[in-house]
Amino acid sequence: MSDLKKTILDCMEQVAVIADCTLIENISDDTVLLQSGLDSLGFAMLVAQLEEELGTDPFSEMELAVYPRTLGEFVTVYKNALS
Amino acid sequence: MNSIVKSQKKTVIITGASRGLGLAICNQLLQENYFVVAISRSLSSELSNLCDDHPLSIAHLPYDLANLDDIHTLCKAIIEEFGRPYALVNNAAVGHDGVLATMHNSEINSLLNINVQAPILLSKYLSRSMMLNRTGRIINISSIIARTGFSGLSVYAASKAAIEGFTRSLSREVGKAGITVNCVAPGYMQTEMTSSLQGEKLESVKRRSPLGRLASPADAASAVLYLMSEQAKSMTGTIMTVDAGSTA
Repeated sequence: MSDLKKTILDCMEQVAVIADCTLIENISDDTVLLQSGLDSLGFAMLVAQLEEELGTDPFSEMELAVYPRTLGEFVTVYKNALS
Repeated sequence: MNSIVKSQKKTVIITGASRGLGLAICNQLLQENYFVVAISRSLSSELSNLCDDHPLSIAHLPYDLANLDDIHTLCKAIIEEFGRPYALVNNAAVGHDGVLATMHNSEINSLLNINVQAPILLSKYLSRSMMLNRTGRIINISSIIARTGFSGLSVYAASKAAIEGFTRSLSREVGKAGITVNCVAPGYMQTEMTSSLQGEKLESVKRRSPLGRLASPADAASAVLYLMSEQAKSMTGTIMTVDAGSTA
């Protein structure tokens, strides 16, 4: 597992506790984000937490609105922003 | 910055801090032991004096909210330097008066950017940090004009009605994260922004008020401080009117 993906999964776990959500088991690249157990507020918290950890919010920095569907797509957005 | 002193205080970010109501809010926040991040285009002598008197409790950041594109960078810098904020007071506003039919489009655009889009973007980027703390306050400064109407202030009125609608819906969105979102709607106050209201028109506003006077910036600031407090933890999505009864 890449360091970036591990950071994102760790943040998802931290945020799930704060947001009072329960993550599903065995989250993979194909997991649909909205079925991961985090609700929409939880995703807002995840983006904020990742901005603190990684120093970037790629969704605000991109010119067009992008909504990744799966975890794999979500990780790719951050990978591209950090490359 | 003395980090020990700062760490004991809750950080409040306020826009339009250099004069009028913004300055009155800064004064009261400092009295109540908050750490204040005061944003304004320029540093007025009054705000400068406040910074000199409270060097460990207030920091001034010069920023023109007409620059919407860099608001994300501004918020990021604030969080990096001062930590996650406890509260945001969206106070900055412009109030060009004039008949709509002859108001230049650039003025309409600029008013809506500063009065509506800037507070929305600040709320977007700063509420996310409040969510991680599971607590926060967003206080938007509206105006009685949002509901009463006043000839020559149609665009300003539209911007304030927008802020009230924004407040109600955002309060529903972020309530689960422990963040309250409210408005304070002052009536006419004697500030630079309302300096065009003079003479008989001003006397008429005073006469019609049940209390026979205008509310002061300090009166409206007290309402902001209340909404900021722990005592207001169960108030969200509301509009608090402070107008000496003018709209009663």
